[in-house]
Amino acid sequence: MTRCLDEATLQCYFDGELSIELMESATSHLASCVTCAAAARELEEESALLTTALAAEFEASVPTERLRQRIDAAVLGERVASAQSTEKRSGLAAFFAGLLSFGTQRTLGYASLAVVLAFGAVAGLVMMKDTPENPEVTAENKAPQPAPQPEASAVAAYTPWVDKKPEVQSAETPVLNRPVRNIRQNKATLVNYTPAPTPVKLLPGERAYLQTIARLDSTIQSNAKDMKPSLRAEYERNLAVVDRAIAATRTAAKSNPNDPDAADFMFAAYQSKVDLLNTIADVRAGGPRD
Amino acid sequence: MNGQARALIESMPNDIGTEAVGPLSFDEAFTLHHRAVFRTARAVVRDSALAEDVTQEVFLRLYRNLNSTPGEELLRAWLLRVTLNVARNTLRGQSRSMVRDNEYHKSTAENGFFVDAPEEDYERRVAIEEARRALDKIKEPMRSCLLLKQQGLSYREIANSLSLKETNVGSLVARGRKEFARVYGKIGGKR
Repeated sequence: MTRCLDEATLQCYFDGELSIELMESATSHLASCVTCAAAARELEEESALLTTALAAEFEASVPTERLRQRIDAAVLGERVASAQSTEKRSGLAAFFAGLLSFGTQRTLGYASLAVVLAFGAVAGLVMMKDTPENPEVTAENKAPQPAPQPEASAVAAYTPWVDKKPEVQSAETPVLNRPVRNIRQNKATLVNYTPAPTPVKLLPGERAYLQTIARLDSTIQSNAKDMKPSLRAEYERNLAVVDRAIAATRTAAKSNPNDPDAADFMFAAYQSKVDLLNTIADVRAGGPRD
Repeated sequence: MNGQARALIESMPNDIGTEAVGPLSFDEAFTLHHRAVFRTARAVVRDSALAEDVTQEVFLRLYRNLNSTPGEELLRAWLLRVTLNVARNTLRGQSRSMVRDNEYHKSTAENGFFVDAPEEDYERRVAIEEARRALDKIKEPMRSCLLLKQQGLSYREIANSLSLKETNVGSLVARGRKEFARVYGKIGGKR
């Protein structure tokens, strides 16, 4: 190359951004041109000065751990927000949003629900043993039991995510999506008996549950005399626990009329009662109601 | 150029960089690039606490756009473009505050983030301030070219980050570098 290198080409040469062909010709020119060689030295000096001057800026500590925690928290918030908006749209899965918030009251509520559902399962097993003459009960009685499990697994699957700083692979949220499907399965039990409630509107949804409960209750009462005393005692004890849960969540929902989570949680309590009544009613009827 | 080198060049695809190497996971992206994002943000907003806010926002945007971000090859350029945008917007909304920065350093020192001796810390902060004052005198996009160049970005990445033509980057870096040397010498930096 016989022409002198312009400023930009010299910079590209120094930064290794020239093509191999140009790099070779620039190298040979610099070896023979005093002016360009001087310009190259100046460039090197200025680049070294720039690097030294900015070293303090770029070598200062980076709070990696704290950034990681902040970003994890922000991404978690994003996931919860997107899950909630999705559920509001889908309606049926709306009450799942309540599962993701762990206020003190809600945690206590979960605990009471878990107890109730466990009692329900025990009651079901007791009835299966008490009524061996009806083989269909066995098959039928197992059906409602998976219902409480998704709630437990949803919480269990969700909680470690916070601690483990999960890998966020895509915009999809598999951890959150899985429970939503499960909750839909759970709600399907209710859909068989009543129109789907609209969880955000408190009173209409509540009315549907109350109608269902009243119907199931009358069915059970009509057969009450056939109920074994031990089963009846178990049933009433479980019912009392469920009623307490409903009362507590209902108070919370009334005092927070604009909080859809509160309403959702109340519906979850109602759903537990419906499940319990279904179990008892189905057993007394001697087969599935479908 | 010998024949071997020419054959090697001819065997390479024309647009190596446009091929996505494959999407990085969010965790990998954070691990690889959070330092560049944070340092670029801090160089722009001049405040470590604000730089944390900016970094958080940048990675949140990455999370929201995981399916539409470029492949590994240009992910850093994408992140730093977002960083510069968010940092400038942050600057518009916030006035710079050395007091706040000092409080930040005090609190982080208590948490063990900065373990330098006070004198060293002071010297470093003076050096940072001098470099920042010199950078302030350099016009855009030369200033951003220098910032990104000093972080090891290629011309292609710089062009992508700043929406420039790649062929102009060399010239901008050269002019920015000359201007910085001139101003930094005046301010009292080693020249």
